[in-house]
Order: sequence, then structure tokens, then C-alpha cells
Amino acid sequence: MGESSRRRLQLIAALLGLAALFIIATLINMQVFKHQFYKEWGEDVRSKAIPINTPPRGTITDRNGHVLAGNAVAYTLQASPREIPESQVITAAIQLGEILARPSSEIEPYLRWTGDPDFFENWPQRNLNEDEEEDRAPWIRIEKYLSKEVGEQINDLQLPGISLKPIWERRYPEGELASHLLGFRAVEDETGFYGVEGFYDSFLRSTSITPEIRVDPQQRPVPWEVTNVELPEAGGSLVLTIDRTIQAIVEAELENSIEAYQAEGGTIIVMNPQTFEILASASRPTYNPAQTAGVDDPKRFVDPAIGDTYEPGSVFKPLTVAAALDSGVVTEETTFVDNGVFEVGGHEIRNALDQTYGEQTITDILIHSINTGAAWLSTQMGTDTFYSYVQAFGIGDLTEVDLEGEVVGELPLPGDYDEWYDSNLGTNSFGQGLTVTPLQMITAIATIANDGTRLKPYVVVKKIEGDGDVLVSEPQVEAQVVSPQTARTVTEMLVRTVDEGVTQAQVEGYRIAGKSGTAEIPVPGGYIEEGTIASFVGYGPIPDPEVVILVKLDRPQTSRWGGDTAARSFRRLAQQLFTILGIPPSGTGVAEANR
Amino acid sequence: MASFLQRVTHGMKQGRFEMSPRAALSLLGVFIVLAIVATCYLILVSRTAAKGRYIEKLQEELFALQRENEHLEVEIANASAVSRMIERARELGFIPAEQVIYLQPATGGE
Repeated sequence: MGESSRRRLQLIAALLGLAALFIIATLINMQVFKHQFYKEWGEDVRSKAIPINTPPRGTITDRNGHVLAGNAVAYTLQASPREIPESQVITAAIQLGEILARPSSEIEPYLRWTGDPDFFENWPQRNLNEDEEEDRAPWIRIEKYLSKEVGEQINDLQLPGISLKPIWERRYPEGELASHLLGFRAVEDETGFYGVEGFYDSFLRSTSITPEIRVDPQQRPVPWEVTNVELPEAGGSLVLTIDRTIQAIVEAELENSIEAYQAEGGTIIVMNPQTFEILASASRPTYNPAQTAGVDDPKRFVDPAIGDTYEPGSVFKPLTVAAALDSGVVTEETTFVDNGVFEVGGHEIRNALDQTYGEQTITDILIHSINTGAAWLSTQMGTDTFYSYVQAFGIGDLTEVDLEGEVVGELPLPGDYDEWYDSNLGTNSFGQGLTVTPLQMITAIATIANDGTRLKPYVVVKKIEGDGDVLVSEPQVEAQVVSPQTARTVTEMLVRTVDEGVTQAQVEGYRIAGKSGTAEIPVPGGYIEEGTIASFVGYGPIPDPEVVILVKLDRPQTSRWGGDTAARSFRRLAQQLFTILGIPPSGTGVAEANR
Repeated sequence: MASFLQRVTHGMKQGRFEMSPRAALSLLGVFIVLAIVATCYLILVSRTAAKGRYIEKLQEELFALQRENEHLEVEIANASAVSRMIERARELGFIPAEQVIYLQPATGGE
């Protein structure tokens, strides 16, 4: 090798050495001094938040597994104008227009890319894909909640730049049936309102997860990268205590009663007195939970069974009688002489139609619904005893039923300034001057039917969590209000009340206990002249009642009396329920064999 | 390392490339090992990728089936709703039972 060659070699070696040093220095700079910066940059480029399919909201079924609220597949139709070739815009708009039953001229602007950098920002917010950040949104929503069939038709077209995103649509297959109990899920988000949808909203909701996942240069997930991602959890499901067949019978009877007695509305509740499970609850007016957008008055959503209060009137008397018997101030044999007027706290209490009954037994107070007799009983007990029983029956307190929107009612108590007067002791004894919800009233009467034990009413019998764990609801004892003996005595009195007083409620072949009520409607300063709340609460068959039924009709026009209206509805309903539940008439060998 | 290089370059003289058979064999061995390792790596990566894609497809299929299942459940509920059952029963000539007679199992009578 010559000298020049050696020099050239040395020069090259030196240059290579310098280059190597430069590379090493750069690497040290990147790996050591700017490690964090490059690490984060790399992560940003290589990973992307990708939403994982969200499982549906939990279903709601009746006690026999019939779906009352479920989820159907729907689609959101989206367009990415940048991906649609100009030559195909018109054809695509025509094809989509035909399927969507919309003019193609309406669709076209969604599909044509104008090149305007503010193109996406010019669309109203509702048209942007909510899964994308606004500044990056390459999609425009054309339509939401397309049916599965329509979505599949569009998918078959395989149009470039047109995509369908599957979403869940809440469906209520039974329509208006049990709508107040169910509540509804808002159309625009996952939130449930009213009924069990509202009360169990967080339980029913599914989780949505958008994990950071490694992606390739086309922003697709890299399949060989192990990503530790928890899958989204399905929403919990609910099994209700209601039976849809009983519910349907109740709803039909309510409709029928409202029409027959020309009432403005009404409520019927059916409860199992052994468990306090609500077997059915219906109110009118009602709404369709799948079509809530068209309801102008949000009050329509409130369940009158738990959210509306009324003065119960004479259906309250069994509570007064039970309290009086249980406290020992009277016995079954005690008599009372009715002069037609009884004064309490300076207020004259009179009977309906100003009737006078003379000497009467405690049972007669119920049979003839004697206001003066009830007032006399309350004065015999005194305020402390009377109100402690009333409260023990759950009046003036929430039942804590698992439904959203329960209200408490009004029970002014001694000492409540400007609300309670001495005369309240008398008027409260026959259900005036205090208000209850229909559920509070039926719970109190069910307490007598259940040997004096008050349980907590409930509508969800089973909660099935997203991972399959099952939680079963058990009846919860709230209070032993009166002794079993007192409760049975009152029940027998109520049987006589139906047999001798409210015969309209009699069901052939069955012993029924019950009480009617005709309550005036309070307004500030008094009561309205026209219109009453007509009601009947009864249970049977005695001695082992299987259902308690409350019928309440608002302002019936054909008759103002609970005995003429609600009691008749009760009879028709009880007859059907006994048949459906397979309860044979008492006194037949079959009934005894079944006991 | 130095002895290995010496063996490999043993025959290198003035532009001529000579290598002893032993050194050539060693070099070949190294290449073979590297090739095997590289091939294994490639097979592993491609298989993992294929499996990953397959799992992804299965997951998509699972979600699709879950959607279909949920949808069908609601469709069944729609088709068997009480109002439709009543309508259908009426069409078939059924009427509500009004007079129910209970039979006594012992005698078979009323």
C-alpha cells in the first residue's frame, strides 16, 4: 500500500470515527437526556383510544321472565365526506334517500367534501360523532336510531365513506303496560328516570371503556400487542315482583272503571299481604315509556301510586279501630251512642248525609262508616296513642319502596305549629286532614291482613349483576303494629263490613274483608264542592288472604261514593285474580284440600 | 474472540480471500444459528399476529352475536306481548273465562 493510500484510509477512518462519535452522542442524548420526551412522543404515535363495544343496559323482566324493558340493535348512520369520491356522491345520496325515505338533496350535503378546513366545524354539534374529539372528527352523523333492518339495507350497499355504528335502543315490548313502575331511559343518554329505571339506574347501566391500544400507522389496533384491558361490564338485570298477566288485568279493569264511572283518572295496586310484593300497579293517565319525547307535561311521568297524595277518607277507619282495640281502650263488645254530631277540639264532626245511628258496636262503626264513632275512638285513645299507631302503620313516612319519586304525604302532629289543631284528632280518625299515597294506604291495610306485621313493600325480587351474581330480595319486617289477635279481629270486622255494608265488593264463593272510602278533595281553605276520591281497599280470601287490592278513582261522575264505584271495580278484579291465581272458592272441598 | 478472527482471516492475503475449512464451518454454524433464531422469531411474530387477528375477529363476532341475541330477545317479547296475545286469542275465537268450575279430586264432582 502506498503512502497516499494509507493517508486516504486514515482520513476515512477518522471521518467514520467522528460519525460514530456523533451517532453515539446523539443516541446518548435521546436515550438518556431526552428519554421522557421521546418515550411520550412514541406512545402518542403508537397508541390510540379505541372504544370497545358497550354492552347493553340491563333488562327488566316480570316475575315469570317476560321482558318488560330490553334492548334492540339500532344504528347511527355516519358519513366521512373525505372518503367519498365526488363521482359517487349523487348516487350514494339517492340510494340513501330511498332507504331513509328522505329527499336525496337533503342527504347530499353530508356526503360532499368541499375542501373547506372548517367543514366539520360548520355542522351543528349534534351532527358530530361524539366518540371523536371535535377537532379531529372526520365523521358527520346523518341519522341516529336507525332500525336494524334499515341499517342492514344500508350496509348491503357497501358505500365508500358511509359507516354504521351499532348502538342500543331501549325498548318496552309491552307498550304502556306498567309504565309508571318501569320508568324510562332518556333517548339521548343512558340515564334512567322514574320507576325502577330511575331507582336502579346505576345498577342497570353498563360500563363503557375506551382503552389506549397500540395501533399501526393506519391507526388500526396492532394484533400482537398484548394490552391489559378490562372488558366493559354488562348492566345488571332486574326481575320484578309484578306478574304481567295480573298487571294486564289490572290495567284493563282500571280503564274499564274509569270509563264506566266517568272518572278523571285512578290507581289500582295489587299486593301480596304475606310478602308485601307489589304484584301489579297501574294508574291513569299514563304514558308510553318508549315515546316520552311527545309528553309535554313531565307530571305525567310521576307514578300516582307513590308520587300523588290524597285524603283517604273512610278507608282509614280500620286503622283507627285496630289502634283502639290493640291499645285496649275498647273491646269488640264496647258500644258507642251516636247522636249524629261529635265535637272534637271545638269542631263538630258529622256523618255522611248527616245520618244518626244511635247505639252502635265497634264493628258497626266500620259497617256504617260512622265518622262520629271513629272520632270517638280517637278521643278515647288520646293523641299520643292514636298518632303512635298511625305512624306505626307507616302513615306520614316513606314506605321506602324501590321506586323513584316516592313522596311522604302529610301527617300534621301535635305540636306542629299552624298545621295541627285539636280537631285534627277527630278528623284524622276517619281519614280527613292528612294525606297518603295509595301505596302507603295499601301497605297499612296489608299490615292488618298480615296479622299486624308491617313489611317493606318492594318491586324487585331479584337483581342479577353483570357478572352473573344473583341477589334475591327478602321481605323485610318494619314493625309489629298491632297484635295478631287484634289484626284478626279487625279482619273479621271488615268481612262483616263487606257482607253487611259494602255488598258491592262481595265475591261469590269467597270471604272478603274490605272498606270503602269517599273522600272530599281539599283545596286551600276547604274542600271542593264537586267531586270526590272514591276508593276501596280489600283483601281475601279470608282467612288466608293472598291479595290485597286498592282501587282509587278520581272524581267519578256516575256516583260520588266509593261503595258504588271502586267497590264494584274491586269485585270484578278480585274475581279475575282468584281465577288467574288458581284460588278456589272457600267452602268447596277443593279449597279445603288446598289449605 | 481474537483467535476466532485470526482463524477466519487466516487466509486473507493481498486481496485474496482464503479461509480454513474449520473457520468456514464455524462461520456457517453462526449463520445457521442466526438464521434459525430469526426464522423462529418471524414464525412466532406472524403466528401471534394471526392469532391476534383471529381473537379480534372472534371478539367482533361475539359482540355481533350478543347484539343479535339481545335484539331477538326483544323481538320475541314484542311478538308475545300481552296485547298481541289477547288479539291473537280473540282471532282464534277464545273468550275470557267467566264461570270457573272447580272439581273436587276425590269425587270428581263439582
